[in-house]
Formats: sequence, C-alpha cells, structure tokens
Amino acid sequence: MFGKIMIANRGEIAVRVIKACREMGIGSVAVYSEADAASLHVRLADEAVPVGPPPAAESYLDMERILEAARATGAEAIHPGYGFLSENAAFARLCEDRGIVFIGPNSRALELVGDKVRARQTMEKAGIPTVPGMTSVSTSLDEIRAAARALGYPVIVKASAGGGGKGMRIVSDEDGLVPALEAGRREAKSAFGDDSVYLEKFIEEPRHVEFQVLADDRGHTVHLFERECSIQRRHQKIVEETPSPALDPELRARMGETAVRAMRAAGYNNAGTVEFLLDRDRRFYFLEVNARLQVEHPVTELTTGVDLVRQQILIASGTGLTLRQENLLQRGHAVECRIYAEDPKMNFLPSAGRIVLLREPKGPGIRFDSGIYEGVEVPVYYDPILAKLIVWAEDREAACRRMSAALDDCVILGIHTTAGFLKDVVNHPEFRAGRATTSFIGKFFSSWGMGEGEDDRQRLALAAAAFDGLTRTTRAAGLSVRGGKMEIETPWTTLGGWRAGGER
Amino acid sequence: MSVAEFDFLLDGEPRKISVETREGTLFVREGGRVLEAEVKRISANELQFRFGGRSVRAYLARAGERTYVAVDGREYVVSESRPETGRHGEGDEKNLETNLRVRSPMPGKVTKVAVAEGEEVRKNQTLVIVEAMKMENEIKTTIDGVVKKIHVTVGDRVDSERPLVEVVKKSNPPRRAEP
Repeated sequence: MFGKIMIANRGEIAVRVIKACREMGIGSVAVYSEADAASLHVRLADEAVPVGPPPAAESYLDMERILEAARATGAEAIHPGYGFLSENAAFARLCEDRGIVFIGPNSRALELVGDKVRARQTMEKAGIPTVPGMTSVSTSLDEIRAAARALGYPVIVKASAGGGGKGMRIVSDEDGLVPALEAGRREAKSAFGDDSVYLEKFIEEPRHVEFQVLADDRGHTVHLFERECSIQRRHQKIVEETPSPALDPELRARMGETAVRAMRAAGYNNAGTVEFLLDRDRRFYFLEVNARLQVEHPVTELTTGVDLVRQQILIASGTGLTLRQENLLQRGHAVECRIYAEDPKMNFLPSAGRIVLLREPKGPGIRFDSGIYEGVEVPVYYDPILAKLIVWAEDREAACRRMSAALDDCVILGIHTTAGFLKDVVNHPEFRAGRATTSFIGKFFSSWGMGEGEDDRQRLALAAAAFDGLTRTTRAAGLSVRGGKMEIETPWTTLGGWRAGGER
Repeated sequence: MSVAEFDFLLDGEPRKISVETREGTLFVREGGRVLEAEVKRISANELQFRFGGRSVRAYLARAGERTYVAVDGREYVVSESRPETGRHGEGDEKNLETNLRVRSPMPGKVTKVAVAEGEEVRKNQTLVIVEAMKMENEIKTTIDGVVKKIHVTVGDRVDSERPLVEVVKKSNPPRRAEP
C-alpha cells in the first residue's frame, strides 16, 4: 500500500480523496494555486504544495509543476480527482515514466476512451451500439457541413477531449453551425487545451443513464449499477440518482453487461463510467467513457455500500478487486444535488465572494461533500461547484422528501447558490413521477419564479432582517460573531441608520 | 407599543414594512398584509419563527451594508433602501432610458467582442462573451440601439464595476416609441 498520495485537484473532490487517505492510514499531499491558498483541501491535507498562479493552465493543469510537487514530497501516487488532469493520457504516461502511480486507468486505455472518436470506433467494433456521428475529427468546414447534412439536424457539437458539457452546442439548422463550432472550439480550448470538435446526431429527449465500473489490473471487471443523470442544465448534470426510474431488472442487467464489455474492449482498469443515452423506445447507445471518478459517485456508494475512492486506491496499489458481481446489490434509493455558486434568479451567472455563513445539513441518510467553510473566499477561476448534497432513503419518494428537507437546512450565505432552485427541481411533479428526460430543465425551468410560498418566505426574510436590526447588540461588519451574548435591547439604541416610525 | 418602519431593498426590490414586537410575537405589516409570527433568537446568526403552525429557521449574516438572510433554503439580500444600492450582480445602468452602459455581472475574462463601435444592435443581441468559472456567459444588450463605445478587448480581465460596452438608443427614431 502507498505511504503517501498526492491529490492533483481542489474543492470538494480533493477533500473527499484526502478523507479516504486518512481513513486508510495514507499520508495526503494537497496542491494549490495562489487563489486556493486558504481553501479547505489545503487545510485538511497532511502537506500542501503551491503550484502556481490562479489560472488552471498555469497551476492545476501544469503537468511539470504537479509532478515536481509529487517528487518533492515523495508521494508514490497521484489521485487526479475529476476534471483538470484526470483524463489526460499524456499526464498518465508521464506518471508511468517517472514511476509515480496514476490512480486511474492505464495511459493506453485513457488515450483510447479520452478520444471520443476513437472510443466510438472501438465500441462499434465490439458490437456496442453508438449514437450516429462523425467517425473522425475534421477542421474543414465543408466536411463538417456535409457531415451535419448526412446526419440530419439537429446535431450536437462536442469537444473531442470533452466532458462536463464544456464545448458542447446543439445546432438546430445550418445557420447555427458556424457560431456553434466557434463557441465549441473556444470553450474546448480553454477547458481542455485542445480545440478539436466533432458532430453527433442529437437524440431528442433522451435519458442519460450511466454505469459505474471497477476493473483491476488482472482484467477482473464488475459494474456497480446505474446512475440516472438526466437532470442537466447547459449539459451539466445537476441532480443525479440511483436506481434509475427508467430501468427494469432486465434492461439494467443488459446495460450493465454492455458496460463491462465496453470497458474490457478498451482495456480499461480502475474506476470508470460508461455513459449511455436511453431513448424513448428504451434503446440505449454508448455515449462515452468517463475515465475517472465521477462527481456523482456518492449515490452509488450509498446504495451499494462500496467506497469507490478506497477501491480506486486499492486497485492502483496492485491489490486485486475482491468484489464479485453476484455479491453486488442496490439497496434503497440515493439522490444527489450539486450545489453551485450560481445565481438561479439571474440566469445562473457565476457568483463569487466570501461565504459569510455556512450551516451544513445533517441527519439520518444525509451526506454533504463540501469544499467550503465559513469565511472562505470562493474564487472565480474554477468550476462553480461548492458542495454536493447526497441523501439515501428506503425508496425514491422518501429520498426525494429527505432531499427537499435537507436543502431547506443547507445554508450558504454571502454568495448565490442553486440550493433553492434544486429544491423546486426535486419537488417538481414530473421529476417526482420519474419521467424527467434531459430536456426537463429547459422545458419546466426556463425561468424560475422562486416557487410556492415565496411571499411568506420573503416577508419572513424581511422580518428577520428587521428583528435582527432591532435586537442586535454587536455590529460586526463582515464575518459573523458566534456564541456572542445576545440581549434584547430597545430599538432606539441599535437601530442605526434605520428610520423608526410612530408610537402607538 | 412601538412600531418601527423599515425601507428595505430585498434583492434590489424596494420593500417598505413596519414591525411591531409584542411579547415575542412579531407583527410585520406590508401594504395591507400582516404576518404574525413568534420569534426567538437562537444565536447571533439564527432566528426561530413559529409561523402558520410550523417552525421556520432564518439564518442571517451581515457583510458591510448587506444582510444575507436564508429562509427555507432560499437566500435573500436585504439592505437599506438607497438609490444606488442594487442587488448583487446587477449589471446594467440606464440613463434616461436612452443610454445603456453594459457591465459584466461577474468577474471574468473577455473571450469575444461580438460587436464593433458604430454597429446597430437589436435587443438581446450578444455584445461580449465573458468567461467565468469555465463557462461562457453572453452579455447582451437590453435595448435596441447603436454601439457607442467599447471599453474592452479580448483577453481583458473584467469585474462588475467597469463598463464593457456603451449602447445608445438610435437618434431620430423612425417610429414612435413603444408604449
């Protein structure tokens, strides 16, 4: 087993991996950019190494700096988390060359599945159904235009190196093709350092169902069932759950078996996810392999009882996979909500700033994977995910209710978050009925009216601010004062700038 | 019995309320409506309301002029009513309804300037693309008009203070202003 692991990431996922290391008695090394010097992962790790200025390209994506940090601290392995270098085959190869274990798939498999076009070709050869699309990347507009015509609009522009919705654009007609290609390339370039894009047929109103797979170095491969990730905004998953309301045992078994077959065809090891689109006629198509730990991995952990990060580390250390397919079971229902630093009232604009108050939800069946703490400044440079709220309950309805209540208890003040919006999503009748497809958000949440009971909530918020103004004894600007002695005073001593009205 | 009146902005919207406290019960009046709730302070940042048979926690934190309040998982920004304090993130500024000074609602980097000075633009047309948190955000004009001045170029880092583009309504409008 490793003595020390470096985590080449930040935020909640770095925290998640650091916690797994601590449980396993493994030392942890954090890396951080200048913008993250005070971030939670830096505070929790046994050691922390600065790796450069705020822009990711000069810090978290700088392979030499990351490898140098590993060498300097004597880390034997690197966990890449998700995003950043996690699916970078060149980085995995560099690790291999320098005798550092990359906690993820081998570089050949990573290269294969990371190239969406080659991955499709491999899957087609293995007899796995794929979404119709371009079989090679092209920079020629004529070729791309011809391909779009052959596929038939609508088509979708995708980054070849892609993931996480970055670089993706749906194109409904030929007029939209050039702007979509431009935008897709720009986003792909900035997110992955590679601007190659390709086209796929856009399947309307599909469900997005993915299967978690674990494979060891000896070819032993199992799947840990599905995650339903149809609730997406701008191709970003925002709510995930398992089991999927769309699968029955027969379809689940068939898709799971296909996922295992796909990973074997790719020569894959460690944890990975096979994404499928499921159309209205319950036909499924291979979409891509996510060659990393997924953001939404906790829902699988809660329903199968398997710690995926621990399994990743065990596999990477050469300990074989001891899980057997026939022993794996799904129990109960789990739902995850991603809490982003975005303002749902302002078309989801990113919101950065200081978190002035944080109350994490707790209770039976509630898990909060977070990368923040009270007082931290949320930087503007990275993905806006702040935390993930994950709940488990005996069945879907109970899990949804638990999620709704837990979101009420999730208090993050000082910046805007998506928590309130997510509560309305989880309580929406279409979602509750298990009918939501990937067009759900666009269809039902194109504008967000703050939902039921808003009048009372607003009035309570005003009442709270007024009462606070009338009764506060401390006037701390900025951070909250905790445990301070609170006495009810007369308004006249504390009102400050507020105007008091008549007497009665 | 004393009544305090407050001129608040709730997420930028003016709200005028009066509050009366009577033995732990709060009467909040706004327009013709009255909300009655028992209130108790739990801690510096936490109040408990009993309201409509339910216990509702409100969490508060102050930062400068703003009071951040969370009720049932929703966040609100409450501030004193003053003409220039707006909701965090408010980007545009209209002068006399004819000029639009477009700002970025968040800090980020300009990745595209989609218009040129002197160009005619239609409402909702994209002026500038600002990348923040790895996503592209299209900054649009909210009026029809002409681009008077562009203050940024590709690669510039912008915050929410500095104007990006100025748009003026076209002079000599050929038709009557819309109602």
